Amino acid sequence: MSDAEIVRRVREGDTAAFAVLVARYRDRLGRYAKQMLGDREDAEEALQDAFVRAYRSLARYDDGGRFGPWLFAILVNRCRTTGRRTARRHRTFVRDDVSLERAPAPAVPEWDDTIRWALGRLAPGMREAFLLKHVEDMDYDEMARLTGAGVSALKMRVKRACEQLRALLTEVERV
Amino acid sequence: MFERDEDVLERMIERLRQPVEMDPTLDAHVMARVSAPSGGGRFAATWDWLRRPRDFSLTPLSALAAAAVLAGLALWLGGRVARIASTVARADTAVVQFVFIAQGATSVALVGDFNDWDATSTPMRPAMQGRLWSVALPLPPGRHRYAFLINGWLWLSDPTAPRAQDDFGTPSSVVTVGG
Repeated sequence: MSDAEIVRRVREGDTAAFAVLVARYRDRLGRYAKQMLGDREDAEEALQDAFVRAYRSLARYDDGGRFGPWLFAILVNRCRTTGRRTARRHRTFVRDDVSLERAPAPAVPEWDDTIRWALGRLAPGMREAFLLKHVEDMDYDEMARLTGAGVSALKMRVKRACEQLRALLTEVERV
Repeated sequence: MFERDEDVLERMIERLRQPVEMDPTLDAHVMARVSAPSGGGRFAATWDWLRRPRDFSLTPLSALAAAAVLAGLALWLGGRVARIASTVARADTAVVQFVFIAQGATSVALVGDFNDWDATSTPMRPAMQGRLWSVALPLPPGRHRYAFLINGWLWLSDPTAPRAQDDFGTPSSVVTVGG
C-alpha cells in the first residue's frame, strides 16, 4: 500500500493505519535522529514527537507531495528543538569543574564512540547538513527544501563538516 | 602507517549508513499518543493506553498496523511480581500485540491455546534494556486463553483481563478477537 493510500485512510478516520507509516519510517528516521542527537533516548523522543506532529498535521499535508520528505522535514525540526534543549542540559553539567577534575581519564574509544564524538564536535547546522548529504544521500535541492537553508550555504556547511571530521578522525587514529 | 584522511571519512560514512534498529515499542507509544491526544504527557498517555481496554476494528489492509491490543503489564522485581493489564480486540483479521513489563526477567514467553501452551513457540522480544517485552501475532476471530511464562517457570495470568481456568486449575486470561 502506498504512503498516499495510507494517508487517505488515516484522514478518513482509520487511525490504526497510521501505524503502518510509523513502522515503515521508524528505522530510517531513527538513524538520522540518533546520529544527529547522539543519544538514543533523545532520538526516540524526537522521533515520537515527529510522528505525532505529522499525524496531527495530516490535514495540512499536501497530497501532491511525497510523504517521506514531508515527515523528514518535521523530524529535522524536532531534532533541532531537542538538540537545543540537550545543549542547555550539557552546559549545566560542564560548569561543574570539581567533578570534571575528579573524573577518570576516558578509556581508548571504540570506533562507534569515535564517530559519535566527532559528530558531536560539529556545529548542529554542519552536522545536520553532513548527515543529510552523506548519510541520507539527499541532493542539495532536496536538502534546501527540507532545511530552509540555501544551496550554497548547505554546500559550504558540508564542505566544512567534512574538513573538520577528517581532522578529528585523523587525530584520533594517530593516538 | 596512517591511512589517508579520505579513507577515514569514507569509513565513517559507511558506518553511519548502516541500518539502525529502533525500539519496536516506539510504534505503540506513538499510536497511544495519536489515539489519546489530550493525554498528560508521554508517560501518562502510555500508561493510560496500557491500562485501558480498547476495541479496534481492523481491515486486512491495516492489519499490519497491529491494533494495539494490550495484553499484559507486570512488574518483576526481586522475586516480586505485580500487575498486568489487558484488553480485547475486535476485528475480522487481527494482529494482536502483547506487551509485558518485566524488570529483571531473563526470558518471557507467551503461551496460550493458540500455540498449544508451548513455552518455546512464542518468545517475547525484550526492549528498553529488558524492561519491556512484546510480541505480535495474528489471531483468528474468537476467544483465546493465554498467560505469560517468565524465566521459564513463573506462570502469570492477567488480573485485569477476564480470567479462565484451564483443565489443571492454572489461572489464565482471555482475549477476544472479532465478533
